[in-house]
Amino acid sequence: MNEADNLLTQSDRPEQSESERVMLDVSGLTKIYPDGTLAVDDIDFSVDAGDFCVIIGPSGCGKSTTLHSLVGNLDVTTGTISLDGVDITDQPTHDRDIGLVFQDFQLFPHLSVAENIVYGLEQMELDDQEKNRRTERLLEMMQLEDLADRDPEELSAGQKQRVALARSLVLEPKLLLLDEPLGDMDYKLQKRMERELLRIHREFDTTFIYVTHDQTQAMRLADQIIVMNDGQVEQSGSVAEIYNSPNTAFVSAFVGDSNTFTGNLEKEHIDGSVTVNTDLGSFRASSANLQSPIDEVLGSEMSFSVRPQHLTLSGEHENTLECRVQDVIWNPGSSTQVLLDVQADGASKEISLKSWEVSTVPEGNVQVSWKPEHTILLEQTSVVEGIDLQKDILGS
Amino acid sequence: MAAHPAIDIDSLSKKFGDELVLDRIDLSINDGEFCVVIGPSGCGKSTLLKCIAGVSDPDTGEIHLRGKNTEAQPARNRNIGLVFQEFEETLFPHKTVEENIAFGLRQKSEPPSEEHIEGRIDEMLDLLAIAPTKSSYPDELSGGQQQRVELARQLVRDCDITLFDDPLADLDYKLQKRMEIEMRRLHKELESTFLYVTHNQDQALKLADRLIVMNEGVIEQVGTPEEVYTNPANAFVGRFVGDSNLLIGNVVQKTESEIRIETQIGELSVSNTGDQPTVDSEGAVLIRPEDVVIGDDAESCRNNMDVVLEGKTYTGEVTEYSVSVSGYKNELQVVRPGKPGDIGNKNEAKIGFNPNAAQFFEEMSVTGDIQASDLLEAEQ
Repeated sequence: MNEADNLLTQSDRPEQSESERVMLDVSGLTKIYPDGTLAVDDIDFSVDAGDFCVIIGPSGCGKSTTLHSLVGNLDVTTGTISLDGVDITDQPTHDRDIGLVFQDFQLFPHLSVAENIVYGLEQMELDDQEKNRRTERLLEMMQLEDLADRDPEELSAGQKQRVALARSLVLEPKLLLLDEPLGDMDYKLQKRMERELLRIHREFDTTFIYVTHDQTQAMRLADQIIVMNDGQVEQSGSVAEIYNSPNTAFVSAFVGDSNTFTGNLEKEHIDGSVTVNTDLGSFRASSANLQSPIDEVLGSEMSFSVRPQHLTLSGEHENTLECRVQDVIWNPGSSTQVLLDVQADGASKEISLKSWEVSTVPEGNVQVSWKPEHTILLEQTSVVEGIDLQKDILGS
Repeated sequence: MAAHPAIDIDSLSKKFGDELVLDRIDLSINDGEFCVVIGPSGCGKSTLLKCIAGVSDPDTGEIHLRGKNTEAQPARNRNIGLVFQEFEETLFPHKTVEENIAFGLRQKSEPPSEEHIEGRIDEMLDLLAIAPTKSSYPDELSGGQQQRVELARQLVRDCDITLFDDPLADLDYKLQKRMEIEMRRLHKELESTFLYVTHNQDQALKLADRLIVMNEGVIEQVGTPEEVYTNPANAFVGRFVGDSNLLIGNVVQKTESEIRIETQIGELSVSNTGDQPTVDSEGAVLIRPEDVVIGDDAESCRNNMDVVLEGKTYTGEVTEYSVSVSGYKNELQVVRPGKPGDIGNKNEAKIGFNPNAAQFFEEMSVTGDIQASDLLEAEQ
């Protein structure tokens, strides 16, 4: 069974049924910088109205270039960008109806909080009543009512972030772009602001595109995740799709932790599952994540991944490995991580297991096992040719 | 084994102008320990590190390194490895990565053989995933790569004591996770003492043999990550380390095993762990998100209530729920392993927790000048 099937997107609410509408459509987008660097290589993706979309990838993957192309800070080399059905590729930035929030906020230091928020509205042809209504609403939504007359320098980082958001949202853009807005904050504040962002997104009901290299942040925030690598899109989908049905080995390794193995696809069973022979033994895998018909890939090299939390410290499941415990990392309030060396003739491998239930871990040799349905087959290493998976994932 | 602790700090104080940054700190770190200092920005953790390194002089108090008073000992004689965040200025711009890393080894009074040096460098470069930069110069590297060169340069020296000031902060997430595991491995291998400062809680809990929680120039608690997380010394520590739900309340009833506390989400039963306060005293109730049950099972918990499901987030490993209780303005957090169950598609639900999942604190902080309401606002 595919775990993605029974999961809805994170902001799934009945009143959002109209969100089937595509808000942003990017087609064939390519950006070559004057020095010849191909930063974005012919990518296509779309984002539904009202969704919280997060673009992730290692540093240098092209995610920021994509964002700045959308907002119009960069001229694209080829390709089209459509917002709400209108081609905006050649429109100047201020006509695009797209807001952008930076990591460093860029508030006007000599203006008060309220003046910062109202600033963009002054350029619009709105009556005073409408300007006031919008400003009041944003001050309230961002819990800034009591700070309206303060100067930015009197605010904490979290408050500044809320002013920066308010300043963009007051213009009621069709699309709000956020470039690692929580990058510089400390851990506690980051967690808090993540929840704030989700709340604001829910209440404001607009489309967000958020860029980050922090994939756990992406998982917490996104309705839709776009995984980029080396200027290309590896996969676009819901958190559940990306996590449970990765398109490529790159996606599987980049998003969340995983143990990746490589072998040969040897045998098909009556129930549709298959056997993969590796240096470390033979393992049964569900074919659910296979894109090609089984006949076409039988006999070929095949990778698969297993998530650490799907491994158990026992021999109870069909796929088993003999391992030696290397390290145990207790994470109070989270799962315990066990690092293991696989014991096999002539081959070695380090794997990771996570469990919320483990209270003691034996020393020395242990048996580890997992179910065929948790063996995720990966036909392709990456959409990028000739990549060094290990190196690419770590970024530059 | 050495008879002296690796680092022994006695009543250390330091002022910047009128501001007391370190206030009579006492701390002893054993030989071979991996100690991690955490605390809000400005709590004094980096200053503490600088005093030990000898790059900043304390106003009063003493620091002994392996039993030896450091007062007359300049920084360069302390044989301490230092990895600070401002690494750009410490790399030699005209030396290659390899030469930069080798420098510390060649400077030793008894330098190892060139063969040994080369082997160690290659090992370090591999470990830190910067092997291809071996012949590059610092200005040809990204910030993250430079930081790793600095890390390699210090680790390769194999000092008895190494001090780290958030050395992984600027790295990409994936690399950070990998480096955390490598730091643990390195620490075991080198058998040296690590004192490590970070603003990243997850990292601190993962790395530390002992965790030191600082706040406003004082130490709030020292203990294993498990101790600090499950038995915080006060509400500040409970709130600062890990995620939590914090409620302000008054004790309305008290028995041998339990206290009843009136809070904004109703009256709650909390285990009486012994030295509990008297009726009418005010304090904070702390409940960890992973100790809260949501859905049908909540009914059987001693404390349970109806909530509105405001948001849910499936992150692959866990599902995080934000819920609101009528009459209370802050949302409560619930974390359950795995994907969302049936509960995920409803708007209303029940949450619950047992008395032993909640802790009551009358003491907010050892600093004495923090109120419960400050803790709620501290993260704004």
